[in-house]
Amino acid sequence: MFTKVFATLVLLALLGSVALAQQPAPPKTKLKVGDAAPDFSLRATDGKTYKLSDFKGKKNVVLAIYVLAFTGG
Amino acid sequence: MKAYQADIAKFDQTDTQVFGLSVDSVPANREFAKQLGVTFPLLSDFKRTVVKDYGVFNEEQQFGNRATFVIDKDGIIQHIDEGNVAIDPTSVADACNVLMHKKTSP
Repeated sequence: MFTKVFATLVLLALLGSVALAQQPAPPKTKLKVGDAAPDFSLRATDGKTYKLSDFKGKKNVVLAIYVLAFTGG
Repeated sequence: MKAYQADIAKFDQTDTQVFGLSVDSVPANREFAKQLGVTFPLLSDFKRTVVKDYGVFNEEQQFGNRATFVIDKDGIIQHIDEGNVAIDPTSVADACNVLMHKKTSP
């Protein structure tokens, strides 16, 4: 009897920890690894305009999208 | 952005161009860069076209959600970080390291 209760408790604890571990924020982008990156052409802080396709065959690109809106200065 | 700046040498070594991107104007981004001491270019997606293309536009709050994409020399996405994970550049730097050792397709 005791072992049965204990085993059930252990099982529940295991299930609980699995459930907790599997809670990453749902991805919001539709893009996946292996997809072609949508091209862009945008002005930057250095006054230049950068086009993603210009880096093809030359450099890897890290695009870090961040939230800054409304902070003004 | 500060974390990326701290790692910029690492990215340079892996033949990687780092861009920040937000929906703010160029002057607002310049001020932001100055405050943080960021030397890599910050792109201004003022029309919100790129954040929409990348599916990270927050319609409700009208800005881009935090996300980082690693794009290889063939223009293919090799790594995606979203949400708070995207603040830490470690996994992104690792992905770039892998890419450096990978041959580009002809």
